[in-house]
Amino acid sequence: MNYLKPKTVDEMLKNIDENPDFYIFCGGTDLALKLKNSSVDGVIDISSLKQFDFITKTDSMIQIGALTTVNTILENHYIENYIVILSDVAKEFASHQIRNIATIGGNIVNDSPVADMIAPLLVLDSTVTLLGSKGERTIPLAELFDGFKSLTLKNEIITTINIPIKKHQHYYRKVGARAKLNISKLSLAMIKSEDKYYLSGTSLNPYTKRFFNVEKLLESGEFNDAMILESLEKDISPSGSFRSTKEYRFQVLLNMIKEGLDGF
Amino acid sequence: MQINCKINNKEYSFDSSPTKRVLDIIRDEGITSIKEGCGEGECGACSIFYNGKLVNSCLMVAPQMDGAEILTLEGLLAQTKHIRESFVEEGAIQCGFCTGGFVLRAYDYAKQNGVKDEKALKDALDGNVCRCTGYQKIVDAILKSLK
Repeated sequence: MNYLKPKTVDEMLKNIDENPDFYIFCGGTDLALKLKNSSVDGVIDISSLKQFDFITKTDSMIQIGALTTVNTILENHYIENYIVILSDVAKEFASHQIRNIATIGGNIVNDSPVADMIAPLLVLDSTVTLLGSKGERTIPLAELFDGFKSLTLKNEIITTINIPIKKHQHYYRKVGARAKLNISKLSLAMIKSEDKYYLSGTSLNPYTKRFFNVEKLLESGEFNDAMILESLEKDISPSGSFRSTKEYRFQVLLNMIKEGLDGF
Repeated sequence: MQINCKINNKEYSFDSSPTKRVLDIIRDEGITSIKEGCGEGECGACSIFYNGKLVNSCLMVAPQMDGAEILTLEGLLAQTKHIRESFVEEGAIQCGFCTGGFVLRAYDYAKQNGVKDEKALKDALDGNVCRCTGYQKIVDAILKSLK
């Protein structure tokens, strides 16, 4: 396996252009298992590029560098004060040892349907800033995903996650087989802001997306359980897996939506 | 590839395949307090301090060691003496396979904020698994060491 460790951004961009099939490597908590279990041509380790490890706040947004570890997010007072849902997610993310090295950018680009960070970032209307040798662009996070384990990155890396600051109430719950180091059966991230609802969750689609039909239904103010389930049919397509059945996921998601609404 | 690093304050230099796990490299050097439990980042028996942060060495590959400072229990014997004694006094060890990881996490926890609160401590132990004790004696031992 080829292992490249660029020391500068220019060197990294050159590495990516020359080796578009190599995996971008940072903390390695997901990739290490892949390296063990399958043959990988090469990785580009970007962990030296500390300029992408930061959390800053302006009047309108909080920006998180892609190399920021989950424990750094958990300990950050801007996030604790303005984006409580992300602190809640970080608290239940893997274990202390993994949170010490796993990065938010890695969780996003690994693009697992059970990735904890993606759903809360989607309901917060986050954008991501991407960098490639052709330049920088910022797109809505949702536009990064176009299928199961499929990203719209074009020889680019994520450098920054941009989260708008807005007044909101939030609900987050992760359901799994155990209390700690829990890989979710499903989770729900829900936000209410200015009478609008934003919902998303893990393990409910081939890749994580918002539940637009349920959002519209809740906004209308007139709904019952059957109507929520009917909208969910359009928003989610959970498969039965070894972690949970399809029926369980529908029922528990309905229960969580109602629990969230009760708290608002 | 050539790797240079410090393990327990001693310089090491070796040639390694880039996919070799840090866990295996350290154990091959005769430093065996770290164990392979699950091999997939869930049990914490392979925990090491990596540039000051506690991480799972089974989820790391050789090149990540280059230039790094690594500490295992062997390099922290004086600093963890009271914790290890507390484990013995409370009978918090059965097979002992997980103990090194728990002692390092207890030391890490005490260094960070170390509030003497059972709930906070149990949350803090989310990356360490013990299959023998049922945890209570481990929790008691760590709480005692925090006095």
